[in-house]
Amino acid sequence: MNVLLCSINTLLKGLYDISGVEVGQHFYWQIGGFQVHAQVLITSWVVIAILLGSAIIAVRNPQTIPTDIQNFFEYVLEFIRDVSKTQIGEEYGPWVSFIGTLFLFIFVSNWSGALLPWKIIQLPHGELAAPTNDINTTVALALLTSLAYFYAGLTKKGLGYFGKYIQPTPILLPINILEDFTKPLSLSFRLFGNILADELVVVVLVSLVPLVVPIPVMLLGLFTSGIQALIFATLAAAYIGESMEGHH
Amino acid sequence: MANMIMASSKTLVPPTPSLSTAKPKLPISQIPALPKITLPTLSSSTLIKSLSLVAATSLAVAPPSFAEEIEKAALFEFNLTLPLIMAEFLFLQFALDKLYFTPLGNFMDERDAAIRERLSSVKDTSGEVKQLEEQAAAVLKAARAEISSALNKMKKETQAELEQKLAEGRKKVEVELEEALASLEVQKEETIKALDSQIVALSQDIVKKVLPIS
Repeated sequence: MNVLLCSINTLLKGLYDISGVEVGQHFYWQIGGFQVHAQVLITSWVVIAILLGSAIIAVRNPQTIPTDIQNFFEYVLEFIRDVSKTQIGEEYGPWVSFIGTLFLFIFVSNWSGALLPWKIIQLPHGELAAPTNDINTTVALALLTSLAYFYAGLTKKGLGYFGKYIQPTPILLPINILEDFTKPLSLSFRLFGNILADELVVVVLVSLVPLVVPIPVMLLGLFTSGIQALIFATLAAAYIGESMEGHH
Repeated sequence: MANMIMASSKTLVPPTPSLSTAKPKLPISQIPALPKITLPTLSSSTLIKSLSLVAATSLAVAPPSFAEEIEKAALFEFNLTLPLIMAEFLFLQFALDKLYFTPLGNFMDERDAAIRERLSSVKDTSGEVKQLEEQAAAVLKAARAEISSALNKMKKETQAELEQKLAEGRKKVEVELEEALASLEVQKEETIKALDSQIVALSQDIVKKVLPIS
């Protein structure tokens, strides 16, 4: 019996090793007695460096007739402004930076997981992947979104903002309170699940058929990554707009 | 996948002392075959029993090797990474706002305003241009009329002058002709008179010569 079980184990373990799926494996650093997921921080630094570097190059010397890269960045900015304006309304101005940073950070993170050859860099434990692959990142972003819409509502309407909890009737108070918890929860888990599932599907497919076959799934992954970034940014803007709009 | 995520939240295999302390920091090589030995020793009585256990462990639940990997897989592990990512995001928002959104946004707005202004000013000048064109047409018309009138006047003047000169010349010629004719008549009479006197003398001469002198 031992032999049989051992052989099954080794077989499964072999398959597992070949597929190279490392779910929930982290490369830990100790910072002041606390543990952090180093692979998330490293990739997020790379993403931030990409974003800031390209922004500096593109906007360093704006031309009246835009050059190619400036044109692209202007298009992105117009897109972000459009999203903010449609969701928040006329007072979208101060929120462009928040919505835009959300969109750009998530988008570049997702695409970096699919396009950058992270696997070349070997870590002692775990592996480099998209920062949005980690629940810490998505929850951090979702909590910031919650803080943002509370801030928006409180600055716009003062303490009267809390009046929305008994709108339209006080019976809905528990549901309205529950909404404040479900919003960040759904935001973070949607993004986390999509990106993790996408990367897992690609990894598993690559391990099974290394050539050609995973390409459509990879393209689909790129598509869903972009969509997820847009959804996160749009929903964040919608929540902010919702908390700012008046209840007449 | 759901199986794996479920499994990650709780320990499936009875925790042996070494496994319970196995933090995710541990390298994989240290824990390859620990639960494999513990499981079959519990049910080594009959073959069927052990076979069913194998089936159960390998199909229904995650297989031992998976379980062992997953037990230290921390899919939903929250730690200092979360606030650090928050801080990074806020930094990124600040930096992008300073580097990208605000400068490029202002630049675009200014350009929009400038283009709009120029466009409206162009619309205004089109009216001005029309007015100027009308003025120019009027000026041209007036100038043309003036020129034609002046031309007409000049034509008339020169014609009148010419006619006058012609008449003068004609009169002069007529007078001269008359004078010449009159003098011719006078001369004619004079010569006739002279001829008459000469005729008398000549006839006397002829008579003297023809008729013998008597």
